[in-house]
Amino acid sequence: MPDIDLFNFFRLMLGAFVTIYASIVTAQSLYGWWVWLAGGEKHISLLRRYVIVHGLRLRFAAFWGDVIVCILLCVTFLIMWRLHSLIEAKAI
Amino acid sequence: MSTGPTNPSDVKMLPATGTAVVAGAPVAGTASRQLIDLPLDELQNLAEEFGLDATKFRTRQHLVAAVHDRRQMIASLDRDAMLDVIRWGRRPVTTSASKEQLAQEIARISTMRFAGLSHRGLYVLAKMRGCDVLPADAVPLLIQRLRKKEGFFQKISRKRRAMMGSVISKMIGGDATEQYRHLPPGAGAADPAVKPTAASLKREIEDQGIFGGITNRLKKTADSYVNQKLDEIEARIDRKLDEIDRRLGEWRDKEVANRIRILKITLWASVIVAGVALIYSYIKVYVVG
Repeated sequence: MPDIDLFNFFRLMLGAFVTIYASIVTAQSLYGWWVWLAGGEKHISLLRRYVIVHGLRLRFAAFWGDVIVCILLCVTFLIMWRLHSLIEAKAI
Repeated sequence: MSTGPTNPSDVKMLPATGTAVVAGAPVAGTASRQLIDLPLDELQNLAEEFGLDATKFRTRQHLVAAVHDRRQMIASLDRDAMLDVIRWGRRPVTTSASKEQLAQEIARISTMRFAGLSHRGLYVLAKMRGCDVLPADAVPLLIQRLRKKEGFFQKISRKRRAMMGSVISKMIGGDATEQYRHLPPGAGAADPAVKPTAASLKREIEDQGIFGGITNRLKKTADSYVNQKLDEIEARIDRKLDEIDRRLGEWRDKEVANRIRILKITLWASVIVAGVALIYSYIKVYVVG
């Protein structure tokens, strides 16, 4: 009988499922928006320009706190990943 | 038969100098050939727009020669002097209008009240009405020539119209006159949405007759009312659009903030799970193992 660490198995499976699910949902959403905004009709062209204008008018000053927290969390996550790799290397 | 005004830009400009009128064979050259190619009704229309009486010319060649001469005469006139006449005659013209457009508007001015018109303007008006005058002629002489050109019966008719205009103006009011304004640049002279300020009702009746004057005044009043209502509707639509834009902006900011918050929660969860996994691995390797 193979020696399977249940915790490792759980987190691997969780990571795989969540990654695949999030990728599919994001790709579907992006493709839907792309198809909708790529239309050649006059009103769609107008809408496309309007969306671009709204994107340019977005004020990052209103969200910069949350954005910095997200960046710091990403850095923390990467550091933990690196530490985990070092511990795994020590075990081997 | 065409009834609308002929666009001067459709007809090629003439050379700046030289008159090619010879008795019997009136006009020579490219421009006159282009004029002679025009249909007769368009040619007559063009002549009338330039202030010529098309019925006085017996043949097509004579009419072409007259239009040719008239256009050359217009090209030789001073533009500022023409604008003086336009202001005095309260015609709907942009300040950037060409000389030919100005001349067409001047040709539509039929008033014989010359008060307020400059000397150079009087000269332009006299030339446009076909008077034989010189730039150096004195104002009284210019006015005398213009009055002489009007003719006896036309004068009687004008006096009658002036009298009727005075009576009607007293009956229904309408003496108020506003200062003349040019049309805004880019607006066409034929644009019904933009009109110059009106002269008094009395003067309109004197120039155009009772029915013409009253009809014109009614038309202007109706136009003004419709324009005012259109402006109100436009302002209301603008306000609504601004409101929609503002709400969309708020919705966009809220949506982006929500997405970032969800991302932050997901990252927190990932970091916590990674921390637990790290502690587990540490215990497994360094404590248990």
